[in-house]
Amino acid sequence: MRLMLGFCFALATPAAADVADALNTVILPGYAGFATATAALDQAAQADCAPEGLQDEWNAAFDAWMRVGFLRLGPGEGEGRNLAIAFWPDPKGLGAKAQAGMLKSGEIPAEFGEVSVAARGLFGLERLLYPQDAIFKAEAACRLIRATTADLARMAAELSAEWPPYAARMQAPGAVGETEFLTEAEVKRALLTALVTGVEFQKDSRLGRPLGDFDRPRPERAEARASGRSARNVDLSLRALRDLTAALAPEAAVTLAALDKAIATAEGLDDPVFAGVAEPGSRLKVEILQQQVTAAKDAMMAELVPALGVGTGFNAADGD
Amino acid sequence: MATRRGFLAGLLVSGALPRLAWADVGGPAFLAAAKDAAGEYALHALSARGESLFHLPLPGRGHAACAHPVRAEAVAFARRPGTFALVLDAGTGRELARLTPPEGRQFNGHGAYSADGSVLYTSEVVAQGSAGRVGLWDSESWQRIGEWHSGGIGPHELRLRPEGGLVVANGGIETDPEDRAKLNLEAMQPNLTWLDGIGGIVAQAALEPGLNKNSIRHLALGPEGQVAFAMQWEGDPAEVVPLLGLCAAGESPALCPPLEAEALLMQGYAGSIAWNRSVGRIVLTSPRGGVAMVFDGAGRPVASHRRADICGAAALGDGFVLTDGGGAIWALDDRGLSLLAQHALSWDNHLVALQTA
Repeated sequence: MRLMLGFCFALATPAAADVADALNTVILPGYAGFATATAALDQAAQADCAPEGLQDEWNAAFDAWMRVGFLRLGPGEGEGRNLAIAFWPDPKGLGAKAQAGMLKSGEIPAEFGEVSVAARGLFGLERLLYPQDAIFKAEAACRLIRATTADLARMAAELSAEWPPYAARMQAPGAVGETEFLTEAEVKRALLTALVTGVEFQKDSRLGRPLGDFDRPRPERAEARASGRSARNVDLSLRALRDLTAALAPEAAVTLAALDKAIATAEGLDDPVFAGVAEPGSRLKVEILQQQVTAAKDAMMAELVPALGVGTGFNAADGD
Repeated sequence: MATRRGFLAGLLVSGALPRLAWADVGGPAFLAAAKDAAGEYALHALSARGESLFHLPLPGRGHAACAHPVRAEAVAFARRPGTFALVLDAGTGRELARLTPPEGRQFNGHGAYSADGSVLYTSEVVAQGSAGRVGLWDSESWQRIGEWHSGGIGPHELRLRPEGGLVVANGGIETDPEDRAKLNLEAMQPNLTWLDGIGGIVAQAALEPGLNKNSIRHLALGPEGQVAFAMQWEGDPAEVVPLLGLCAAGESPALCPPLEAEALLMQGYAGSIAWNRSVGRIVLTSPRGGVAMVFDGAGRPVASHRRADICGAAALGDGFVLTDGGGAIWALDDRGLSLLAQHALSWDNHLVALQTA
């Protein structure tokens, strides 16, 4: 296919330092940290698969994922790894069903990467390490824990290895054969989209799903209830989003202040699994947090779009 | 523009007839609406290599277009809810007619000419309640000559059936006539409706009850007249649902899920669809997910390709041509994406292949 050059996009120019900062100080260390944490979890599980003894390592791995888990771009989107690492929400309980099937039969595939994305990763492990149902304490649970930690550590190692070359591509937009990033503006747009999507996920999913409607609160839909991490995940994700924003656009004072405000509220919440959404007084606190996250998103759109010189997608926002 | 001016100068010398065929205007292969850096909208005629051969200004944001089967004449439709459709002479850029929907009707972004080009069919809704209509327009006088029921609520794309008549994607969504707000998501019932040449319903197909929030919006035709349809999920975004279906008139729809690992890549939203009948490939695009997903003619997933804001899709040669909101035009075949051209434009949702190309 012959290349028609309408513009001088093929002249690869190094991306500005802000993109490099975002990659080198937040994103790449984040994936490296996740690889280290999941390797430690897997090592512990292979040594001793008793669930209670693995909870600390599992929590450390989950904390590490919160640094980068909101990034819906790059190697994690390949082979469904972002999904397999953290399959939530799962309204139909697909993951639990698939795991129960393996535990009942005792047959755990040797090629564990072929198992349904819903049954793997951090949430697959949460059901095994904080069992809420007898089936997750079945005899085969030990083998399933080990298969899942090994698979998780494998994926984390792959992402940690694949991100640096991907980051290099992001810093050389328009290189020959490049199809994802033709210009520096496209790189910035991809990072802006990742930030906005990340904030929206806190608002709509982590907070919005348990909030439900005032008339029908849904505390049972909170993320990671069994391990009590629902609010912690919002807090850590907001911190990671703040760090990425600060690296990408340090001048975005309004956005950073809005994120700081939401982080402070999340940390003062004292409602670890959002159980309070069912009671008007405590529900209000979660609603206030959600409003502050919404305000942070609005600030991001108002401030980062001009700061980065790019908007989010023309068609993506159209809805038709 | 230079190409067209040069050509027009030649025309004056040769004294050719004013009604031109598509080949006379530089043989564009595609039409696509776009917004430029100054915020102006236009309909572009594109070559098979992605060059803009000429463009015709539009008064507002466009959506899809359709081309007369013979004459160098195109109709550009406004974005829904549409108050205009412009009939443009692609040779001169002159506006031949400006269609406005009758009182209480709105255009819905798509349309098609009859096989002989004598009639234009427009996808429309009754503004209050979104009941679907197909508007009929005489393509010489541009008088409205009638309308049919589309067989559902909120029709979006319609396609000419090879044996005559139309197939319509009734998206099922009732929208506020002013602001596009969706009013009936709990009760929506999308369907496919096949109409004969006089507007009678030949067949209808609906999705199973649990999928009634999967709005059927865009269509592509297969080699035996079967329809591939692209959907947009209005239910819980966490639910994984197929966004591609295949259906022949009178049969039940077959849903075509992607690979499990890629099931959420499209974020519940397919924006455009095209079927390359010569190689048996269907492409489904998601600007929201930034992905073009290729399926075979039986709806089995073949490959996925990442590209932000990708949407417009049309078959060409042994693959497809795709457009994105960043201005790029891509060739897509089994080897992947390759860049054809880059414009300082945002390409709008649809890339329309000219039948004569």
